[in-house]
Amino acid sequence: MKRTVFLATLMMFFLIGSWAWAQDTIKIGVVGPRTGPAAATGKAFEEGIAIALDHINARGGVLGKKVEVIFEDTGGVPEKAASAFEKLATRDKVPIVVGESHSSSALAEIEVANRYKVPLIICEAWHDDITKKNYRWVFRAGPVNSGVVDFYIAPFVKDNGFKKVAIVRENSDWGVGIAERTETNMKNLGIPFVTLKVERESKDFYTELTKIKGENPDIVLAYIYGTGLHFFVSQANEVGLSPKSLILDGAGPPSLWDTFWKNVGKAGEMELFMSSMHEKVHLTPTSRKFWEDYKKKFGKDPTDYKTRSIYNVVLIAVDAIARAKSTENEALVNALEKTSLEVTTGVVKFGLKQGTYEYHQWMPPMLVVQWQDQKQVVVYPKEAAMGALMKGK
Amino acid sequence: MSELLMYLTNGIVIGVINAISAIGVSLIVGIMKVVNFAHGELYIFAGYFSYHLSVSLGVPPLLAMPLSIFLIFLIGIGMERTLIRPTYGDEMYSLIITFVLSIVLQNAALLIFGPYPQKPPNWVTGAMNIFGLYHYGNQRILSFFISIGVLLSIFYLIKRTWFGKSIRAISQDREMAALVGVDHLKVNMLAFGLGAALAGAAGVVLSPIFPVTPSGSSSVSLNAFIVVVLGGMGSLKGCVVGGLILGILENLGAAYISTMYRHIFGFIILILVLVFRPWGLFGQKTQ
Repeated sequence: MKRTVFLATLMMFFLIGSWAWAQDTIKIGVVGPRTGPAAATGKAFEEGIAIALDHINARGGVLGKKVEVIFEDTGGVPEKAASAFEKLATRDKVPIVVGESHSSSALAEIEVANRYKVPLIICEAWHDDITKKNYRWVFRAGPVNSGVVDFYIAPFVKDNGFKKVAIVRENSDWGVGIAERTETNMKNLGIPFVTLKVERESKDFYTELTKIKGENPDIVLAYIYGTGLHFFVSQANEVGLSPKSLILDGAGPPSLWDTFWKNVGKAGEMELFMSSMHEKVHLTPTSRKFWEDYKKKFGKDPTDYKTRSIYNVVLIAVDAIARAKSTENEALVNALEKTSLEVTTGVVKFGLKQGTYEYHQWMPPMLVVQWQDQKQVVVYPKEAAMGALMKGK
Repeated sequence: MSELLMYLTNGIVIGVINAISAIGVSLIVGIMKVVNFAHGELYIFAGYFSYHLSVSLGVPPLLAMPLSIFLIFLIGIGMERTLIRPTYGDEMYSLIITFVLSIVLQNAALLIFGPYPQKPPNWVTGAMNIFGLYHYGNQRILSFFISIGVLLSIFYLIKRTWFGKSIRAISQDREMAALVGVDHLKVNMLAFGLGAALAGAAGVVLSPIFPVTPSGSSSVSLNAFIVVVLGGMGSLKGCVVGGLILGILENLGAAYISTMYRHIFGFIILILVLVFRPWGLFGQKTQ
């Protein structure tokens, strides 16, 4: 009898043990703003992560373990971002971190990543220096300021024959970087421009808009992120600047938030924005799968393209762990450098040539989209265009 | 020339709006010696209430506005009874409590209402061409007149009614007022509620122009404090003049010096006032 009890107990321990073993997970760190002026990005990230984890864990996870995410809030503040990354690296000991959408926060995080030698894949912080610093541990699978301007915004301005450009930029690392690159491009193209610097926290843009109106530009390149963009677009219409002068939202997501039309009213008509996602543009089968999974889980179409960007980088991280067959940092970096993975926006291959921002960088194709009758119409680049650009009178 | 007029108009409109937001802070400071750091959050909550009452529940906007202000008034009274009353006599405690409360409410707003900017429906749309010189948003013009209405009624309430008289009595000498029969606890409670309601009034009037977000509250509080310090703690007239000075200076500064430093002008005034006239333009110099 005693023996039976002993064996039964042993069996139970074994079962519990193996169950606990199966519960062992691989943790991926995520950094991004869940509070502060861009808390909406945090929401988009949460949705993207949820879909990615469903997808990965349904396939059995990676290295025989389930994948879990620890999402640390940066509040969009560099100091908080650095300590969030430090927490992930030291307390949670995650093998890899992905995410971020603020350049200033990312620039703080890459220093910590470099110090602790923890691989980091940035998805939506666009500043050139993030990859230009050529840190071995830092990768970016997302847009970069120079790429967005050189390949999309500047050619778009040139091809549409705009004669005068107004650049409005917020005082953030992203705003300064993208505006400077635009200025260089406009100089090279010989297109006259004016630049206006605004505060990131501004609500009232009447003064700024009146100044721009005095310049009479054909297009206003608005490098303003978050709620500020809604204020800017609706007030531009009130002071009579738009639609005579078109407005291009250089970031994109704020023009796609559910509240955009409620907040800007008819001023949103003919507004342009940058995006890497469109309902009708599916570059890969993964893109279609993402769209269907999102609809199934949330009961609506995805709007903020950052949902898809974070989804991509989680897939890239898991793919690297699978190929490295380990969570050791050197092995992960080596695996990441050999990445050739189909995600929603194409096949990711990181650049390996050192010396420029293209090192450890992969940029998805972008689109210039215009709101026409409250519908998203891709107007640039030409090969993806679904309709002609509408110009105001 | 038309541009200068535009900057001035906008300065005056934003100035009056600054004033109603600041007058609530000033009232509470003047009477209770309590600095309410959660002022901006009350403003934001009023905006959200007005949005959800009119959009989610279908209450007509004109009814949703006073209803939201009333809700904020009740919240203000609740705050006074539970959090502020036990701190009377120690200004530091109330400072810390309202500061903590502002953080709690900000995060609560994020949790309850989400991160996206929300805006109650406009009462009017479009813009007006003013004297053929420049365009100005109709909603702003309407908000300007409503704000003036709110200011006038507050002045009437404080200067001409019995309630106002007891408020003024308490702010001058609490013990003396209590001796002659003013129920200072009740007046405190109502005054705090009124101060909160004024934050709410600013919130409902402004949210159709500037949609509210959870993080938008800090700039509201900060602006209100600048105006109060500039005008003089506890002075209602000071709030109006301070608000106008701030509004006009910010607009002219942004127009002719730099748009990048719009908000620095406010801080420059704040520092100058603190150095040369710490009691503000209309405040009383204390010994």
